[in-house]
Amino acid sequence: MKRYANAILCLAVMSVAFVARPLYAGGPHPVKAKASAIQVKMIRSDEIKLPAEFQISLYENLVRQLEKQGGFEHVYRDGDRRAKDAPDLVILHSTVRGFKEGSERTRRVTTVAGATSITIHCEFKNPDGKVLLEKDVNGKVWFFGGNLRATYDFAKKTARVAHDGFSSSEHKS
Amino acid sequence: MKRRKFLVSFALALALAGLAICGANAQQSSKPDNKAIALTGLTGVKDNAKGKLTVENGKLHFVYGKKSSDIPVASIEDVVTGEDSQAAVGKTVSTLSMAAPYGSGRFLALFRTKFDTLTLRYRDENGALHGVIFALPTAEAEPIKKELLAQGAHTTVGEAKAAAATAPANSPSKEPKQ
Repeated sequence: MKRYANAILCLAVMSVAFVARPLYAGGPHPVKAKASAIQVKMIRSDEIKLPAEFQISLYENLVRQLEKQGGFEHVYRDGDRRAKDAPDLVILHSTVRGFKEGSERTRRVTTVAGATSITIHCEFKNPDGKVLLEKDVNGKVWFFGGNLRATYDFAKKTARVAHDGFSSSEHKS
Repeated sequence: MKRRKFLVSFALALALAGLAICGANAQQSSKPDNKAIALTGLTGVKDNAKGKLTVENGKLHFVYGKKSSDIPVASIEDVVTGEDSQAAVGKTVSTLSMAAPYGSGRFLALFRTKFDTLTLRYRDENGALHGVIFALPTAEAEPIKKELLAQGAHTTVGEAKAAAATAPANSPSKEPKQ
């Protein structure tokens, strides 16, 4: 009788362990790569013609948003010589994949048409060129604001991607 | 007879006065007032700061309120006006919401003034790339661009045009048909 009880207990423990393990492993555990500094390269738009003011606005907003909410100790601009001495440097390369220029006037008059949308492929690389994280990020302006506001939307989303993907301290969850 | 003389002299006086006013207006309109809005990117200056933009002694000088900001002309790598962008991209990008804040009503949107933009790229003492966008009244960006180029700034607009012109001629030799 005691032998049966022991066997049932053992079976119960094993089954609990068997069921619990995948549950534990399946929980959200994003591992952030360590990066204390980021360098932002100028936005590239080789295939898609982008107005100069959009390109500059994307770059400037990106630098600003990464400084605000990227979670990095240092944010370096394209060509900054100080970046090469930075430990755990990540380099952000951005390439324009799609651009649809809307109209502020149409947005204001109709409220449903005239949206400006921009899609940019972002690659976070280490100094050796290895891709650590890549994602397509979309910037839009639907209702209010000038067309350049789409660049602000893109910058905010990219800074969030960077914040979620990297950490200045070791492997935070 | 007297009345006729009076009318003729009065008409002459009116014509002369009209000419004088036209001349004064022409002089005024040919002289730009250099008003500009620093839309974004100017170091130490808030976005959408209103001020005056001039090119003096090898520097691009932006004065707003009691403060000012300078960019050495020699450090400017690229100067592009809104018209240049329009020519390159093929669509107008120069309508900016400068006068009315968000939510001022749809009615105002129909009466927006068109502005020109002046976009610059320059490097600071560490080699870091900066971008600045100014908004100016229509046709006032081009004279400032010319002034900057005369004082040593660079532009990619000519290069892009040249590349576009040579591209069709070069393409068959680069990619031979099989």
